[in-house]
Amino acid sequence: MYTQFLIASVLLAASHQAMAAEKANCGLNNGKKATGLPIPLGAVMGKTGPDDFSSSAATTEAYFKCVNDNGGIQGRPIEYTVVDDQWNPEIAAQLASKLVQDRKVVAMVGSASFVECGANAKLYEQAGVMVIAGVGVPRECFQSKNYVPMNAGPRLAATTVAMYAKQRYKSKKFVCIAPNIPGLGEWACGGVAAWGAKNGVVSETILIDPGSADASSVILQASSKNPDVIILNLPKGLLTPMLGAAEQQNLGKKIKFLAPASGYSVELPKAIGPYWKDNFDVALEFQPIDANTAENKNWLAILNQYGNKKDPRDTFSQAGYLAAKLTTETLLKLDPAKINRATVTEALRQISDFKSELLCRPFYIGTGKRHNANNFSRVATSTGSSWAVRSECSAVLDPELADIYQNELQLGLKR
Amino acid sequence: MSDLITFLTPYLISGLGVGAVYALSGVGLVVLYRASGVLNFAFGALGAISAYCAWSLLELDYPQVVVWLAAIVVSTLLSLLYGALLAPRLAHRDRTTRSIATLGFALVILGFTEWFWGETVRRLSLPTDAEALDFGDIRLTYTRILSLILALIMMSAISLLLNKTRLGLHMRALANNRSLSALLGIAVTRIDTAAWLISGAFAGVCGLLLANMVRLQATTLTFMVIPAFAAAIIGRLSSLPITVAAGIVIGMLEALSITIPGFAIYRSVTPFLLALIAMMIFAVAYPASIES
Repeated sequence: MYTQFLIASVLLAASHQAMAAEKANCGLNNGKKATGLPIPLGAVMGKTGPDDFSSSAATTEAYFKCVNDNGGIQGRPIEYTVVDDQWNPEIAAQLASKLVQDRKVVAMVGSASFVECGANAKLYEQAGVMVIAGVGVPRECFQSKNYVPMNAGPRLAATTVAMYAKQRYKSKKFVCIAPNIPGLGEWACGGVAAWGAKNGVVSETILIDPGSADASSVILQASSKNPDVIILNLPKGLLTPMLGAAEQQNLGKKIKFLAPASGYSVELPKAIGPYWKDNFDVALEFQPIDANTAENKNWLAILNQYGNKKDPRDTFSQAGYLAAKLTTETLLKLDPAKINRATVTEALRQISDFKSELLCRPFYIGTGKRHNANNFSRVATSTGSSWAVRSECSAVLDPELADIYQNELQLGLKR
Repeated sequence: MSDLITFLTPYLISGLGVGAVYALSGVGLVVLYRASGVLNFAFGALGAISAYCAWSLLELDYPQVVVWLAAIVVSTLLSLLYGALLAPRLAHRDRTTRSIATLGFALVILGFTEWFWGETVRRLSLPTDAEALDFGDIRLTYTRILSLILALIMMSAISLLLNKTRLGLHMRALANNRSLSALLGIAVTRIDTAAWLISGAFAGVCGLLLANMVRLQATTLTFMVIPAFAAAIIGRLSSLPITVAAGIVIGMLEALSITIPGFAIYRSVTPFLLALIAMMIFAVAYPASIES
């Protein structure tokens, strides 16, 4: 009896160990350390400031470490430099200039910043550097020839939840709250307003000072407009106090609260508490973070083996993973002796069918004047302790996407 | 007119709670300044680390009272450590140097807090959030009422301490002239340490309240010292009643300014603006004091 129990225990422990230590799969996957001439890549992210956007580049870094431990790019390791713009456009411009001009990066990968697109989009275009950003936030990130965000962006994500609110809650009036940051506030809520106008929903936008400590007044101002839906188009650091203030005013009982993908993180449902159970919806830009798919498992395995234990396993992290994977696969197709800025830019522009289970549909780059390829989305609801997916992948019907649809038609992509 | 009052009242009530914590923080800053001549830039960071400790203990299901006390003890001990170990080494430097040194202390605490707890979304709920007074368009939670009561009680307690006790007398003597006080036999280090201890306890209480009302985020809480500075400056770093009144007014005006089109999106400048106006008035009203 004792022996049987011992054997069963050992087997159970071994299987659990195997599940916990899912092997990371990346690059050439041959277990050999890359030792050749390094390939310089970079990223600009906003870590210190009103919110921490470092998880995208942190995951990209973990992915590249995995690649370097597994044969690199045909033997050449990736030398990845991540810089923190501190949410300051001037610092973002200085740091990007150093990466582009001094370190001679061949591409930027996994960037995530509130301020860098406005500051650096022109520089990247003039220098011929492609940016496979993890996360694009303001308008400029989606309006540049050389900036390719893997995510859908706050505008499309907010439009997704607006469409969901109309369909599920029969909403008639939205208030969309966004931070007063140039290129973000009005634009980020503009999709809600434009789609709403076409679909019989009135929408008002409130721009807020992100530096203000007082969330209650914002919530009071929004509720004074008598909406049936409030869309909090805010970074997750600002979302929590807004929901806290709404809870203190007991507004969740008469108004529905929704948010774009910035709210979609593992810890948020628990942090905001049981009050918001089945009462707070967010958009998903990628596959649910707890989805039991090979790609999702690989994302987590890479973070577990090569990342920092404390790095969040959130939607921005998924974006960083995708940016790294797309770039790695592209670099692996090139002659390693001929990897330079021009060849990398050209190869990235050729991407028309990058597949991943994390995406609703294949991703493309192409030669368009701007990029917003991730334009399908889902919605999830807080269960009080986690998220439950409420809708499947569907197209975001923002009128601003007309030129993107045109590009997709030219590339032969079906919607 | 009555429509305007009805329109503005919810914002005034909303600003009352945060304003009360600004007031409380201002008192914590003034008490240390009056004793040791140091403007404590680490006040917000001490509050932040105590709030994070409270969050961690709540996650471990410790009782609320234990959590509150433990959090206040953490900030008090850290402040005491600085006051007992580092501050005496700077005692003979000028006020600016001694104040800027606390900025270094703030950055060390901030760095540690961010490193130890990482950057995930957290919320510090207090049991006093659950109940509220209902004013129709707005509910005033017990946490905000508690903040207001605490600000008034602590202002009175510190005023009594400074004006009616031997410790307070020594603190005032030190603030006037440290060298002379030492020559008269006042235990300078001991008095300084007591001031750091009191200030640390204030930081802990304010950290808990601000983490609940504003947000549990280390950088934000560290820089919440700025509105408190504004309140303390309006109180000319000496008057506790004016500091408390200024803190509350700053909170209320910041909330109210959301109704001003064009200014609402910059309303976080309210404390600076008020401090600036106050300094300009002081420059005219007390020119000799400004020069000195």
